[in-house]
Amino acid sequence: MIGTALGVVLLDKIVYSAFLLAGVFLSISGLYILLNADFVAAAQILVYVGAVNVLILFAIMLVNKTENFQEVKGRWIRQIATALVCFGLFALLATMVLVTPWQLSVISPAIIENTIVTIGKHFFSDYLLPFEVLSVLLLMAMVGAIILARRDLIPTAQKTREIYTTSLTLPEKPRDLISSGK
Amino acid sequence: MDFSGQIASLLNASAILPEAIVIVTLLLVLIIDLIFGRKSVPWLPYFAIAGLLASVIALFYGWDNPNPTSFLGSFTSDNLSIVFRGTVALSTAITILLSIAYIENTGTSLAEFVGILLTATLGGMLLCGASELVMIFVSLEMLSISSYLLTGYMKRDPRSNEAALKYLLIGAASSAIFLYGSSLLYGLSGGVTNINTITATLQAGEGLESLGLAIALVFMVAGIAFKISAVPFHQWTPDVYEGSPTPVVAFLSVGSKAAGFAIAIRLFVTAFASVTEEWHFIFTALAILSMVLGNVVALAQTSMKRMLAYSSIGQAGFVMIGLVADTQAGYSSMIFYLFIYLFMNLGAFACIILFALRTGTDKISDYAGLYQKDPLLTLGLSLCLLSLGGIPPLAGFFGKIYIFWAGWQAGLYGLVLVALITSVISIYYYIRVVKMMVVKEPYEMSDIVKKYPPVRWNMPGMRPIQVGLVFLLIATSLLGILSNPVVTIANKSVSSSLVLKASLEARINNISATEIKTVL
Repeated sequence: MIGTALGVVLLDKIVYSAFLLAGVFLSISGLYILLNADFVAAAQILVYVGAVNVLILFAIMLVNKTENFQEVKGRWIRQIATALVCFGLFALLATMVLVTPWQLSVISPAIIENTIVTIGKHFFSDYLLPFEVLSVLLLMAMVGAIILARRDLIPTAQKTREIYTTSLTLPEKPRDLISSGK
Repeated sequence: MDFSGQIASLLNASAILPEAIVIVTLLLVLIIDLIFGRKSVPWLPYFAIAGLLASVIALFYGWDNPNPTSFLGSFTSDNLSIVFRGTVALSTAITILLSIAYIENTGTSLAEFVGILLTATLGGMLLCGASELVMIFVSLEMLSISSYLLTGYMKRDPRSNEAALKYLLIGAASSAIFLYGSSLLYGLSGGVTNINTITATLQAGEGLESLGLAIALVFMVAGIAFKISAVPFHQWTPDVYEGSPTPVVAFLSVGSKAAGFAIAIRLFVTAFASVTEEWHFIFTALAILSMVLGNVVALAQTSMKRMLAYSSIGQAGFVMIGLVADTQAGYSSMIFYLFIYLFMNLGAFACIILFALRTGTDKISDYAGLYQKDPLLTLGLSLCLLSLGGIPPLAGFFGKIYIFWAGWQAGLYGLVLVALITSVISIYYYIRVVKMMVVKEPYEMSDIVKKYPPVRWNMPGMRPIQVGLVFLLIATSLLGILSNPVVTIANKSVSSSLVLKASLEARINNISATEIKTVL
């Protein structure tokens, strides 16, 4: 997992990075299996490898534009600084993980026969409200995505706008209305 | 089913009646838009406003709920949350009033705008009462995602796109950090997500062992400070304020911020009660940085929206004093100030929207000599800006005085002094705009104002702005003098809140213990 994660960040070709990202997701699901979380592991593979990663690959393929980036002057300084920051953060978090007296769950995993049933019971008892609220959130995310992606009928918008423009005696182009302060 | 029957009796679902009203309104808005299309535009926003007002009324009837905990601890509908939820809902209602003409004139569809705004409100309202980590995160995301969508609503404008992208990237990063912090908290407490019970199982540990809790605290502060745009988590604010549609900015600066403060109070007072000293320290630093940077950088701005962005950073700094004070007066002064801030800030934005609609600009220098052409707008903007600056007879003065007094009582002398100095600085840039509008001679008038269209209110969408502006003006000028009921409500909500009671009592015990020591 660490190898693939490093590969995602360090490799130059973005397609390789995308495939290696799938490797990272798969290894994470392996971690979940080790933690006895079989449902989460399956969901991880389905959602991240099956959907998110494929989407990323599609995006990369659709963009398909070779562009030579100019070498930024003093790039190595930035890279070293980034490496230092990342390493420092890693060291901090690692120390924290090691020194903290974690409270381990006393319930033996053998007692829970079916994790899906347990998760379902939680969804419909103490996590009911977040679960229901998420549905509204997803609805609105869907509406928002459609708004952003749909083709706007600019002629009709212009037409209705004309009426207002004349009656309002607004001389400007409305799109610039937001902040022509530039 | 035994399981579902048992659960249903425990839910106490009536506590989220106001939110349910908002959800129903939201769904109806979407469905009506689907069926009637553009024919529904003239009355759809009023329907949404009616829904929000109904929700506020429902909140009012939920006051002094004897059994505030609902959904098995996911949501607390105590008086504290009611005050904040009311603030969020009210700010949205006024924002919709102001946005009708603005959105119509940009040719974008109004119904979806209202729908997304209602979702953002819902997220904010749920955030105010959320008392469980999962619920907090879900409602935080709901608020953020709808804010990103609103920011990028003018999709053919590159500035709006840039603002949306910046907001999305920084926001996603900050909510990831927040999530990491809450996962640490979950691990430290041995699998408890309810913030009221988390303290009992949370082991602070000695020395290095408390590192985990400290990191969790810092990460969660980062997530929340992003929402209330406190320095150094403020970089998104000016760009987002400049690039988003002005009504959205009005909502972000009031509604979203109020929700952020509500969750800050609830989370830090309950879950981080064992590290009170530490979070006081962090918020003191944030408050000083926000006040100094926000108010000083605002001096140099030429665009009205950017200036108000920096001023809102500075105002967030003032409000944080109340949080750091951590006393009854501190919290109620926070609530009082946020409530007043709602009116004066929305009033200022109403004037900016009106000016932009009539002239298409928001440069500060273009406001020169506006007094000759549009007295009402000039009066409104002057009153709101002076109130933001804290000039005596207006509401803002009383709000600031109350916060400073509470801070002084709590012994935060340095913080209050910084606040006094920075609020004097802030008066300078507010007055500059007022002077620009009022004092300039006719020959100094800017070209834009010379071409100013004759004032007519009977245009579509203009009447709501006028009504909103006049209402906000009256509220801004009178709330200061008639502040007693508001202060009483704020005080009651704080004193009746079970969440705060524990921490306040602990503090009083501490104080009396130290007093006894000094006496001896």
